[in-house]
Amino acid sequence: METLQNLAFGFEHALTLHNLMYCAIGCSVGTLVGLLPGLGPLATISLLLPLTYSISTTGALIMLAGIYYGAQYGDSVSAITMKMPHASSIVACIDGYQMTLKGKTGLALFTAGVSSFIGGTVAIVVLAWLAPTLGEVAFKFGPADYCALMMFGFLCVSFVTTGSLLNGFAMCMIGVLLGLVGTDVNSGMARYTFDLPNLADGVSLVSLALGCFGIAEITKNLDAHEQRSPFNGTIKLMPTWPEFKRIFPSALRGSAVGSFIGILPGGGAAIAQFAAYALDKKVSKYKDEIGSGAIEGVAGQAAADEAAARTSFIPLMSIGIPENAVTALMLGAFIIKGIQPGPNMIASHPELFWGLVASMWVGNVFLLVLNVPLVRYLLSIFKIPYNVLFPAILFFCCIGTYSINNNLDDIYTTAIFGLIGYVFMRFGLDAAPLMLGFILGPMLEENFRRTLLLSRGSFEIFVERPISGTLLGLIALFITWQVLAFYFKARAKRREAALTPPPLAIAPLADRVPESGSAP
Amino acid sequence: MVTREVVANNEKVTLFGFDHDMNDQNLLKGLLLAAVALAFGLGAFRYPIGEFSRAGPGLFPLVISGILMVIAIVSIVRSRFVERVPLDFSIRNIVIIMVALCGFALVSQYINMVLGIAFMVFVSTIAGDSYSWQRNLKISVALIAVAYAFHYLLGLNLPLPGPY
Repeated sequence: METLQNLAFGFEHALTLHNLMYCAIGCSVGTLVGLLPGLGPLATISLLLPLTYSISTTGALIMLAGIYYGAQYGDSVSAITMKMPHASSIVACIDGYQMTLKGKTGLALFTAGVSSFIGGTVAIVVLAWLAPTLGEVAFKFGPADYCALMMFGFLCVSFVTTGSLLNGFAMCMIGVLLGLVGTDVNSGMARYTFDLPNLADGVSLVSLALGCFGIAEITKNLDAHEQRSPFNGTIKLMPTWPEFKRIFPSALRGSAVGSFIGILPGGGAAIAQFAAYALDKKVSKYKDEIGSGAIEGVAGQAAADEAAARTSFIPLMSIGIPENAVTALMLGAFIIKGIQPGPNMIASHPELFWGLVASMWVGNVFLLVLNVPLVRYLLSIFKIPYNVLFPAILFFCCIGTYSINNNLDDIYTTAIFGLIGYVFMRFGLDAAPLMLGFILGPMLEENFRRTLLLSRGSFEIFVERPISGTLLGLIALFITWQVLAFYFKARAKRREAALTPPPLAIAPLADRVPESGSAP
Repeated sequence: MVTREVVANNEKVTLFGFDHDMNDQNLLKGLLLAAVALAFGLGAFRYPIGEFSRAGPGLFPLVISGILMVIAIVSIVRSRFVERVPLDFSIRNIVIIMVALCGFALVSQYINMVLGIAFMVFVSTIAGDSYSWQRNLKISVALIAVAYAFHYLLGLNLPLPGPY
């Protein structure tokens, strides 16, 4: 009951005319930019971040939420219509694109929109109920626990998003190091600034994100010389009633899976999609059709995607620690607006917290009533050739960077991070964990120094405290498992390599025998 | 003997002066990480380190660089046990984009943003599949119009020529 009251309180704040307008703008611009090739949610949010600077705090947060959901939907649209995913919508390519091949694009887009709405609604109930509860747990956290939790988050994100623990963790650490650039808060000493005035405040978040995700991606696309055929099919949005009925069971399953996975550290939208898709393949009534363009194949993953995107805000809002790159970027945006999410946020700024929760749902409604019908017009952006599009994207990257401090020097920073991001990409290193490390870096240092100050330089405190002890134990277990798995795999491969040559040498001979036998 | 050496040399693929054995994404990645760790780790010594109970500004970067160094060494060791993946790296497009961005900032600073936009469009499109100066002119005009719209309608403070 209290939750409902709080939600009503939130809606009071979200449902002003101005805030509705910001939400609508955020949603549609987010979708439009999210559709652009080479710009995933991370790049889209950082590109549009400057738009929110001149708006009031609540309005800006609502607009950001709108941009985030819009960008995600835009992603799945490009996946469905052109099989062109970013990292966040790989699964939508499978059945969604198959439906396009069958001429059911409209149905797929409608299904994705409705399922997102269902997933988002379920997740908001979970969020409104769980975040304050978890927030009370967060008060038991000491600095040592925060350190352990962040390390655990790094580990999970590295493993889940990049598939390679070493690469991901290395990128997290580089992110932490980049986050240290600037003036040290404890001693006032400038670190790694090379005496450049625009580095004294640290590397700008927008420069880093636009460089690593925007400019590096554009260059990668230019390297690939891909010729895209724009989508020219017709779009019939409204489904028939039997089709409509098929959406629900799958979307509800997806919502449950997504809500759960979103809360876990490292669990973001991508892994939730895979889990929901796999579940549908097992239990759905139409499981034989999945993979060849079934409604369930789109509905389940879209709902899970949206639900996980929402519930991944729970750790951010209640404990103050983002658990994946996108929420880390949102945390950066919150901090720019002067808000520090965490257990204190719910108590000290209830209107912000509940307003944000409510606006997430409002954003969802807008997505449904505005974007789904508009999508056919938004898709015409693909009729513009890439040769025209990419200078324009570069221009927006420049303007976005410049307008933060009205400083042209920041553009050099963006360019350098574009180069760094490109080099990392070519080395097979994913930049998403870098983002997480960058944003958590200062927090990690603060808590690390505080822990050691309290324990007078002894590291035992990390093991003695139950929360941090458990988390560090999990980390140790995980690393041991990875090392053992690698060792056994390498050994098995070597044994296989030692065994295979003999059969290979015999096989051609055995093949030849009947041939030579039948010839005479 | 001589011919054999020539054949062997022909088979070698050179990349930035490395021979074929070095052109391994995994190995080079480990070396890159080690270089980053060294750069930040050695940099940390320029700041007071302090001790664990009273950490100076240099301590935490040193700890993190240490962790990164361990990862780098593990990556290098690991690269000896997994299959080699050649590094795919083309320097042309990234250089063009860098020149376009830095040129935009320079021209905007010393002349104005209208010329900066034109410079960026005309340089960056060299990286595209086809080049046409008429098209570039159109893109430039459109983007300059967008810049003026941002300046006057959204209140962004862009260094554009014109009445204020």
